[in-house]
Amino acid sequence: MHEPILYGNLLLQQKPPTLRNPNLNPNPNNVKGIKENASSLYDFSDLKNMVKDNAVIVFGKKGCCMSHVIKRLLQALGVNPAVYEVDEVDENEVVIELEGIRAGDGKQCSMQFPAVFIGGRWFGGLERIIASHITGELTPLLKQAGALWL
Amino acid sequence: MNFASTQFVPSRRMGICEPLPQIGMWSDYKENNYLDTSTPAILEVDSRFDNQQLRRLAQNREAARKCRLRKKAYVQQLENSKLRLMQLEQELERARQQGLYVGGGLDTGQLGYSRTTNPGIATFEMAYGHWVEEQNKKTADLRNALCSDITDLELSSFVDDGMNHYFDLFLMKETAAKADVFYLMSGMWETSAEHFLSWIGGFRPSELLKVLEPHLGPLTEKQSLELSNLKQSCQQAEDALSQGLERLHQILSETVADGLLGEGNYLPQINAALEKLKAMVRFVGQADHLRKETLLQISRNLNNRQAAQGLLALGEYFQRLRVLSSFWTSRPRESS
Repeated sequence: MHEPILYGNLLLQQKPPTLRNPNLNPNPNNVKGIKENASSLYDFSDLKNMVKDNAVIVFGKKGCCMSHVIKRLLQALGVNPAVYEVDEVDENEVVIELEGIRAGDGKQCSMQFPAVFIGGRWFGGLERIIASHITGELTPLLKQAGALWL
Repeated sequence: MNFASTQFVPSRRMGICEPLPQIGMWSDYKENNYLDTSTPAILEVDSRFDNQQLRRLAQNREAARKCRLRKKAYVQQLENSKLRLMQLEQELERARQQGLYVGGGLDTGQLGYSRTTNPGIATFEMAYGHWVEEQNKKTADLRNALCSDITDLELSSFVDDGMNHYFDLFLMKETAAKADVFYLMSGMWETSAEHFLSWIGGFRPSELLKVLEPHLGPLTEKQSLELSNLKQSCQQAEDALSQGLERLHQILSETVADGLLGEGNYLPQINAALEKLKAMVRFVGQADHLRKETLLQISRNLNNRQAAQGLLALGEYFQRLRVLSSFWTSRPRESS
């Protein structure tokens, strides 16, 4: 089974990974407490690029089992989704950032984790993923976004 | 006649208190609605007593005899009631095992769970009992409708009604999950056979599709293909959810075991674990969501008659499972 791409691994130089994959911990103010994988190369505004650059990206709370479900389902379809694990302390900021990316959608419902973006656009959470998979809408959408080649 | 040995026992000294309501009060038996056709015993004339006293003694004897007969009848009634009580207790136990009885006493379930202390669950149990009754009725009505000369429009309303009934159940479960998700997960609300075949607090959608398929009547090629795709999609969604649940399992275990065991204070670990457990509610919710979406999708691909037949097959399938459970519970136990 493919392992999902984790930004923490690609972009930061730091100590060898611990049991849980190291998190990207951008620190816009540069004054918050020293964290283990410090080296704040990115602030949250870079999330916009992440969403744009990835055919499929899943934002989930760290240790959340629901985002694990989404991950597994996408992998079963042959997709290798990018996964961004959000630390509890960063939750609010990430939500604000993501809602900004999503603005102009016209829809009013608030962002919840896990949140899936397909082809640079907000798609929904686990419920939407399951529903669209059952109706058969999901696969063509993934192909369109370039996440699937079949 | 040896009067000294005769026992005259007036009714109020019978010493029987609080007879069961079913058999009426002891005082009821004092009415002369009992056998009284025998003739009084023939007295030998004894010159020691005059006529009046003789008559009185005879009456006393008669009264005593009647009293003894009444006592006998009363005891007989008591014995019958005792048997009836035992029967009722057995039935109750059976119904309780099937989780359809709202406990009114001090009983706790197998897992030490006292139903009466959680009002959300008590409500659910009652509502679910009604739901099952309704379901059986709807299944019977559907069967009649399919046999009769019914218009397609009428049939479609049967189908909608049947589907909505299942969706009602999912709503009920959502509320119950918030009250106690483990009650739903443990299957205490289902019959034993249903629980054996269940997956995350309810039926497994892909299994259901397999059960339904042969009963939908002839399918077009397009329909067959759609059904086959649906089966696969269902299976994939189920696998993903199962794997997520396994992960929760792992995480919970790690959380509880975090830190040193045997050191005493483990409150932080318990609190952390409590947070993790909340995810269970979402899992049951997602599983029911999958069930609903599957039912909706399959109905989209079928015409009204096929959908009605499918619903009928479903209704009967679950009925059979419930009957199976009941037979299982009341089967004679084999001696070792």
